[in-house]
Amino acid sequence: MNPRLARLLMRLYPRAWRERYGEEFEALLLAGRGGLRTSANVVWSALSEHAFPTQGAEMHQSPVTFVAITRQPSAFLPMAMSLIALALVLGNLGSDLIQNGHILREADEGTTAHLWQLLMVGQLPVLAFFAIKWLPRAPGQTLKVLALQAGAVLANLAVVFFSGVG
Amino acid sequence: MRSTQNVVKAEKQPETGHFSDPPLFVLASLANGPKHGHAMIEDIAHLCGTRLGPGTLYGAITRLEQQGWIEPLPPEERRRPYRITPKGLRALRSKLTTLLQFSKAGLRRLEA
Repeated sequence: MNPRLARLLMRLYPRAWRERYGEEFEALLLAGRGGLRTSANVVWSALSEHAFPTQGAEMHQSPVTFVAITRQPSAFLPMAMSLIALALVLGNLGSDLIQNGHILREADEGTTAHLWQLLMVGQLPVLAFFAIKWLPRAPGQTLKVLALQAGAVLANLAVVFFSGVG
Repeated sequence: MRSTQNVVKAEKQPETGHFSDPPLFVLASLANGPKHGHAMIEDIAHLCGTRLGPGTLYGAITRLEQQGWIEPLPPEERRRPYRITPKGLRALRSKLTTLLQFSKAGLRRLEA
Protein backbone atom coordinates (compact mmCIF):
# COMPACT_ATOMS: atom_id res chain seq x y z
CA MET A 1 0.00 0.00 0.00
CA ASN A 2 1.02 3.55 -0.66
CA PRO A 3 2.80 4.91 2.49
CA ARG A 4 0.78 8.14 2.48
CA LEU A 5 -2.51 6.25 2.26
CA ALA A 6 -1.36 3.86 5.00
CA ARG A 7 -0.51 6.81 7.27
CA LEU A 8 -3.81 8.51 6.49
CA LEU A 9 -5.83 5.36 7.23
CA MET A 10 -3.93 4.72 10.45
CA ARG A 11 -4.72 8.27 11.59
CA LEU A 12 -8.45 7.53 11.39
CA TYR A 13 -8.14 5.52 14.61
CA PRO A 14 -8.46 7.16 18.06
CA ARG A 15 -5.26 8.55 19.55
CA ALA A 16 -5.03 5.98 22.38
CA TRP A 17 -5.36 3.15 19.87
CA ARG A 18 -2.74 4.69 17.57
CA GLU A 19 -0.28 5.10 20.41
CA ARG A 20 -0.51 1.39 21.19
CA TYR A 21 -1.03 -0.23 17.79
CA GLY A 22 -0.31 2.53 15.23
CA GLU A 23 3.23 1.63 14.22
CA GLU A 24 2.67 -2.11 13.79
CA PHE A 25 -0.67 -1.48 12.07
CA GLU A 26 0.93 0.92 9.59
CA ALA A 27 3.65 -1.69 8.93
CA LEU A 28 0.92 -4.25 8.22
CA LEU A 29 -0.83 -1.87 5.82
CA LEU A 30 2.44 -1.19 4.01
CA ALA A 31 3.09 -4.92 3.62
CA GLY A 32 -0.38 -5.52 2.14
CA ARG A 33 -1.69 -5.01 -1.35
CA GLY A 34 -4.01 -2.16 -0.49
CA GLY A 35 -6.98 -1.48 -2.71
CA LEU A 36 -10.47 -0.18 -2.17
CA ARG A 37 -11.67 -3.20 -0.19
CA THR A 38 -8.77 -2.96 2.27
CA SER A 39 -9.28 0.78 2.68
CA ALA A 40 -13.01 0.31 3.29
CA ASN A 41 -12.23 -2.40 5.85
CA VAL A 42 -9.84 -0.06 7.72
CA VAL A 43 -12.25 2.90 7.60
CA TRP A 44 -15.08 0.76 8.98
CA SER A 45 -12.86 -0.70 11.72
CA ALA A 46 -11.59 2.77 12.69
CA LEU A 47 -15.18 4.04 12.97
CA SER A 48 -16.07 1.00 15.09
CA GLU A 49 -13.11 1.73 17.34
CA HIS A 50 -14.41 5.29 17.79
CA ALA A 51 -17.92 4.05 18.57
CA PHE A 52 -16.92 1.09 20.75
CA PRO A 53 -13.39 1.85 21.94
CA THR A 54 -11.13 -0.91 23.18
CA GLN A 55 -10.11 -0.40 26.77
CA GLY A 56 -7.54 -2.07 28.91
CA ALA A 57 -4.56 -4.01 27.56
CA GLU A 58 -1.67 -1.56 27.30
CA MET A 59 -3.77 1.33 26.12
CA HIS A 60 -3.46 4.21 28.54
CA GLN A 61 -6.63 6.17 28.04
CA SER A 62 -6.82 9.36 30.01
CA PRO A 63 -9.94 9.67 32.16
CA VAL A 64 -12.59 11.82 30.50
CA THR A 65 -13.47 14.86 32.60
CA PHE A 66 -16.41 17.21 32.11
CA VAL A 67 -14.08 20.04 31.05
CA ALA A 68 -12.25 17.77 28.60
CA ILE A 69 -15.48 16.59 27.03
CA THR A 70 -16.87 20.13 26.63
CA ARG A 71 -13.72 21.01 24.66
CA GLN A 72 -14.73 18.54 21.96
CA PRO A 73 -15.99 20.39 18.86
CA SER A 74 -19.08 18.16 18.76
CA ALA A 75 -19.87 19.28 22.33
CA PHE A 76 -19.40 23.02 22.07
CA LEU A 77 -20.62 23.54 18.48
CA PRO A 78 -24.31 22.75 19.21
CA MET A 79 -24.12 24.90 22.34
CA ALA A 80 -22.59 27.76 20.36
CA MET A 81 -25.25 27.38 17.65
CA SER A 82 -28.02 27.52 20.26
CA LEU A 83 -26.51 30.63 21.88
CA ILE A 84 -26.11 32.36 18.51
CA ALA A 85 -29.74 31.49 17.69
CA LEU A 86 -30.85 32.87 21.06
CA ALA A 87 -28.80 36.06 20.54
CA LEU A 88 -30.39 36.49 17.09
CA VAL A 89 -33.93 36.25 18.48
CA LEU A 90 -33.21 38.49 21.47
CA GLY A 91 -31.42 41.01 19.23
CA ASN A 92 -34.37 41.06 16.88
CA LEU A 93 -36.84 41.51 19.73
CA GLY A 94 -34.70 44.27 21.27
CA SER A 95 -34.43 46.19 18.02
CA ASP A 96 -38.21 45.94 17.51
CA LEU A 97 -38.85 47.25 21.01
CA ILE A 98 -36.42 50.16 20.60
CA GLN A 99 -37.65 51.19 17.15
CA ASN A 100 -41.40 50.57 17.52
CA GLY A 101 -42.07 50.25 21.23
CA HIS A 102 -43.55 46.81 20.71
CA ILE A 103 -42.68 43.46 19.07
CA LEU A 104 -43.56 43.26 15.38
CA ARG A 105 -44.90 40.08 13.87
CA GLU A 106 -43.56 39.83 10.34
CA ALA A 107 -45.93 38.51 7.67
CA ASP A 108 -43.03 36.60 6.12
CA GLU A 109 -40.81 34.63 8.49
CA GLY A 110 -37.88 36.92 7.70
CA THR A 111 -34.12 36.41 7.60
CA THR A 112 -33.72 36.13 11.37
CA ALA A 113 -36.32 33.38 11.59
CA HIS A 114 -34.67 31.45 8.74
CA LEU A 115 -31.24 31.77 10.34
CA TRP A 116 -32.70 30.65 13.67
CA GLN A 117 -34.29 27.58 12.06
CA LEU A 118 -31.05 26.69 10.25
CA LEU A 119 -29.03 26.97 13.47
CA MET A 120 -31.50 24.88 15.45
CA VAL A 121 -31.85 22.13 12.83
CA GLY A 122 -28.16 22.21 11.85
CA GLN A 123 -27.04 21.31 15.35
CA LEU A 124 -29.06 18.06 15.42
CA PRO A 125 -26.59 15.91 13.41
CA VAL A 126 -23.70 17.29 15.49
CA LEU A 127 -25.60 16.45 18.67
CA ALA A 128 -26.29 12.93 17.40
CA PHE A 129 -22.61 12.45 16.53
CA PHE A 130 -21.60 13.69 19.99
CA ALA A 131 -24.03 11.33 21.74
CA ILE A 132 -23.01 8.29 19.64
CA LYS A 133 -19.32 8.96 20.13
CA TRP A 134 -19.22 9.88 23.81
CA LEU A 135 -22.09 8.06 25.54
CA PRO A 136 -20.32 4.66 25.47
CA ARG A 137 -17.06 6.18 26.76
CA ALA A 138 -18.20 8.57 29.46
CA PRO A 139 -21.95 8.27 30.00
CA GLY A 140 -22.14 10.52 33.08
CA GLN A 141 -20.18 13.45 31.62
CA THR A 142 -21.88 13.11 28.25
CA LEU A 143 -25.35 13.21 29.82
CA LYS A 144 -24.39 16.41 31.66
CA VAL A 145 -23.31 18.05 28.40
CA LEU A 146 -26.46 16.81 26.65
CA ALA A 147 -28.57 18.27 29.50
CA LEU A 148 -26.85 21.63 29.01
CA GLN A 149 -27.48 21.45 25.27
CA ALA A 150 -31.13 20.54 25.87
CA GLY A 151 -31.39 23.53 28.23
CA ALA A 152 -30.05 25.85 25.54
CA VAL A 153 -32.55 24.47 23.00
CA LEU A 154 -35.43 24.87 25.48
CA ALA A 155 -34.37 28.46 26.24
CA ASN A 156 -34.57 29.21 22.52
CA LEU A 157 -37.97 27.60 22.16
CA ALA A 158 -39.27 29.40 25.26
CA VAL A 159 -38.18 32.83 23.98
CA VAL A 160 -39.72 32.19 20.56
CA PHE A 161 -42.93 30.81 22.09
CA PHE A 162 -43.50 33.52 24.68
CA SER A 163 -42.54 36.42 22.44
CA GLY A 164 -44.91 35.13 19.77
CA VAL A 165 -42.43 35.63 16.92
CA GLY A 166 -42.21 31.96 15.97
CA MET B 1 -15.78 -19.55 -34.56
CA ARG B 2 -16.43 -21.73 -31.55
CA SER B 3 -20.04 -21.92 -30.49
CA THR B 4 -20.81 -21.65 -26.81
CA GLN B 5 -24.33 -23.00 -27.18
CA ASN B 6 -23.47 -26.57 -26.22
CA VAL B 7 -20.88 -25.79 -23.58
CA VAL B 8 -21.96 -27.38 -20.35
CA LYS B 9 -21.31 -25.11 -17.46
CA ALA B 10 -19.36 -26.57 -14.58
CA GLU B 11 -21.69 -27.36 -11.75
CA LYS B 12 -21.40 -24.68 -9.15
CA GLN B 13 -20.91 -25.51 -5.51
CA PRO B 14 -23.90 -24.36 -3.48
CA GLU B 15 -23.27 -21.01 -1.77
CA THR B 16 -23.10 -21.67 1.94
CA GLY B 17 -21.68 -18.31 2.93
CA HIS B 18 -18.61 -17.70 5.06
CA PHE B 19 -18.10 -18.82 8.61
CA SER B 20 -16.41 -15.83 10.12
CA ASP B 21 -15.17 -15.54 13.67
CA PRO B 22 -11.99 -13.42 13.48
CA PRO B 23 -10.96 -13.87 17.15
CA LEU B 24 -11.23 -17.66 16.76
CA PHE B 25 -9.16 -17.48 13.55
CA VAL B 26 -6.46 -15.45 15.32
CA LEU B 27 -6.34 -17.87 18.27
CA ALA B 28 -6.15 -20.85 15.91
CA SER B 29 -3.40 -19.18 13.91
CA LEU B 30 -1.33 -18.51 17.03
CA ALA B 31 -1.84 -22.04 18.37
CA ASN B 32 1.29 -23.30 16.60
CA GLY B 33 3.55 -20.38 17.48
CA PRO B 34 3.82 -16.59 17.63
CA LYS B 35 3.09 -14.58 14.49
CA HIS B 36 2.85 -10.94 13.44
CA GLY B 37 -0.14 -9.46 11.62
CA HIS B 38 0.82 -10.22 8.03
CA ALA B 39 1.79 -13.81 8.86
CA MET B 40 -1.55 -14.26 10.65
CA ILE B 41 -3.50 -13.04 7.60
CA GLU B 42 -1.64 -15.47 5.32
CA ASP B 43 -1.95 -18.34 7.80
CA ILE B 44 -5.69 -17.79 8.30
CA ALA B 45 -6.22 -17.61 4.52
CA HIS B 46 -4.35 -20.93 4.19
CA LEU B 47 -6.22 -22.45 7.16
CA CYS B 48 -9.80 -21.67 6.19
CA GLY B 49 -9.84 -19.66 2.97
CA THR B 50 -10.89 -16.40 4.64
CA ARG B 51 -8.61 -13.43 4.11
CA LEU B 52 -9.12 -11.01 6.99
CA GLY B 53 -8.85 -7.29 6.29
CA PRO B 54 -6.21 -5.46 8.36
CA GLY B 55 -8.90 -3.56 10.28
CA THR B 56 -10.76 -6.75 11.13
CA LEU B 57 -7.54 -8.47 12.17
CA TYR B 58 -6.51 -5.68 14.52
CA GLY B 59 -10.06 -5.41 15.86
CA ALA B 60 -9.72 -9.06 16.90
CA ILE B 61 -6.16 -8.60 18.20
CA THR B 62 -7.09 -5.64 20.43
CA ARG B 63 -10.03 -7.47 21.95
CA LEU B 64 -8.12 -10.72 22.45
CA GLU B 65 -5.29 -8.80 24.10
CA GLN B 66 -7.83 -7.02 26.29
CA GLN B 67 -9.23 -10.42 27.36
CA GLY B 68 -5.72 -11.69 28.10
CA TRP B 69 -6.02 -14.47 25.51
CA ILE B 70 -3.01 -13.28 23.50
CA GLU B 71 0.00 -11.17 24.44
CA PRO B 72 2.45 -9.03 22.48
CA LEU B 73 6.11 -9.96 22.14
CA PRO B 74 8.95 -7.44 21.67
CA PRO B 75 8.67 -5.79 18.22
CA GLU B 76 10.78 -6.97 15.30
CA GLU B 77 11.56 -3.75 13.44
CA ARG B 78 8.08 -2.21 13.09
CA ARG B 79 6.17 -5.51 13.22
CA ARG B 80 5.02 -6.94 16.51
CA PRO B 81 4.45 -10.66 16.94
CA TYR B 82 1.78 -12.01 19.27
CA ARG B 83 1.53 -15.29 21.12
CA ILE B 84 -1.38 -17.14 22.63
CA THR B 85 -1.54 -17.25 26.44
CA PRO B 86 -2.47 -20.33 28.54
CA LYS B 87 -5.88 -18.67 29.11
CA GLY B 88 -6.22 -18.22 25.33
CA LEU B 89 -5.31 -21.87 24.74
CA ARG B 90 -8.04 -22.96 27.14
CA ALA B 91 -10.55 -20.68 25.40
CA LEU B 92 -9.52 -21.97 21.97
CA ARG B 93 -9.80 -25.59 23.09
CA SER B 94 -13.24 -24.93 24.54
CA LYS B 95 -14.49 -23.13 21.41
CA LEU B 96 -13.12 -25.81 19.05
CA THR B 97 -14.62 -28.59 21.19
CA THR B 98 -18.01 -26.89 21.00
CA LEU B 99 -17.66 -26.51 17.22
CA LEU B 100 -16.63 -30.14 16.89
CA GLN B 101 -19.66 -31.33 18.88
CA PHE B 102 -21.86 -29.06 16.77
CA SER B 103 -20.38 -30.41 13.53
CA LYS B 104 -20.74 -34.02 14.65
CA ALA B 105 -24.36 -33.49 15.65
CA GLY B 106 -25.13 -31.72 12.36
CA LEU B 107 -23.48 -34.47 10.28
CA ARG B 108 -25.35 -37.19 12.22
CA ARG B 109 -28.61 -35.47 11.37
CA LEU B 110 -27.67 -35.35 7.70
CA GLU B 111 -26.84 -39.07 7.68
CA ALA B 112 -30.05 -40.05 9.47
